[in-house]
Amino acid sequence: MLGKIYGIICLLALLFGIWNGNAAALGGAVIDGAAGAVQVTLSLCGMMCLWCGMMEVLREAGAIRRLSRLLRPLLRLIFPRAAQTGEGLEEISANVSANLLGIGNAATPMALRAMEQLQKHNPKPDRASAEQITLAVLNTASVSLIPANLLALRRAAGSPQPYAIMVPVWIVSVVCAALAVVLTRLIGRGK
Amino acid sequence: MLETISALAMPMVAVLVGLIMMIGKKDYFAAFTRGAMEGLKTAVRLLPTLCALLTAISLLNASGAVEMIAGWLAPAAGAIGVPQELLPLLLTRPFSGSASTAAFTDLLSRVGPDSFAGLCASVIFGSSDTVVYVITVYCSSVGIRRTRWAFPCAFAVMLFCIFFSCFLCRIWFA
Repeated sequence: MLGKIYGIICLLALLFGIWNGNAAALGGAVIDGAAGAVQVTLSLCGMMCLWCGMMEVLREAGAIRRLSRLLRPLLRLIFPRAAQTGEGLEEISANVSANLLGIGNAATPMALRAMEQLQKHNPKPDRASAEQITLAVLNTASVSLIPANLLALRRAAGSPQPYAIMVPVWIVSVVCAALAVVLTRLIGRGK
Repeated sequence: MLETISALAMPMVAVLVGLIMMIGKKDYFAAFTRGAMEGLKTAVRLLPTLCALLTAISLLNASGAVEMIAGWLAPAAGAIGVPQELLPLLLTRPFSGSASTAAFTDLLSRVGPDSFAGLCASVIFGSSDTVVYVITVYCSSVGIRRTRWAFPCAFAVMLFCIFFSCFLCRIWFA
């Protein structure tokens, strides 16, 4: 699937590039893309080190266990298997909390650790398990109590009321997150 | 006020961890470096995937495809209740955080952050994420190659998010 997406994007880019007369820009774009990957990885390295380190401290101190006990009723509905085995539940709790607090750069490390824990119970390691898919799709709905980035961009654009969109954003992201869970679980049950 | 709380959330977690290290009886600093090492390994494992993905996306951005497809879809978008100014944002959002942030900023400066299109764009920007990037990174970090129904579901949710945002803005800001 990932290979297909890569192929489709490259092919589209080439066709449109030639059509638009942007063919010369494509050569530079290839190099920029590869160099950009290193930059993204570098900043990701820092974030992963910091948040996975802090997560380990909080886990040893028992804070994450308390957090996951708090969120358990909700998580049992969304991730029934993980709630049963207990594997990955703490990481998922941390991921959900980071999303809610709007700490986007902490949410990714927590989610990746959760994927690793869920992978332990994945019968076929080269294909995603139902709960891994639910976790990934849920994270694309980006439920956040305080969308700080969005507010900053609206303020920078000179909006007199940057907060006006807060409640609609909450409604849409909660509905979309619910849809993500229902959709992925319905399909997962059929397979 | 809310932005202050949000800005403080991250430092607060760091301070909490610092306090645990200071007061705790176990060797919490060792726990930190152990966890950090695990995180570092995961991040490094992602470089090959990111290299392929970001090269493809960089090509797509340079090709001018987004502007062209947006031009084609403009009449259709208006007909189904989605302001056509949103199209560059909607077409870049699934693939690239930086490109969609640029499209969003450009849109706000052209139509105004509190115009109907500006409000719709804000709600969509705040409640969606870079679908392709998220799913690719999550799956390849643990060596998953077959993503099964992850992409179809994520795109369906995103499509719903677009229509629902425009619909909600229409009644909310009427």
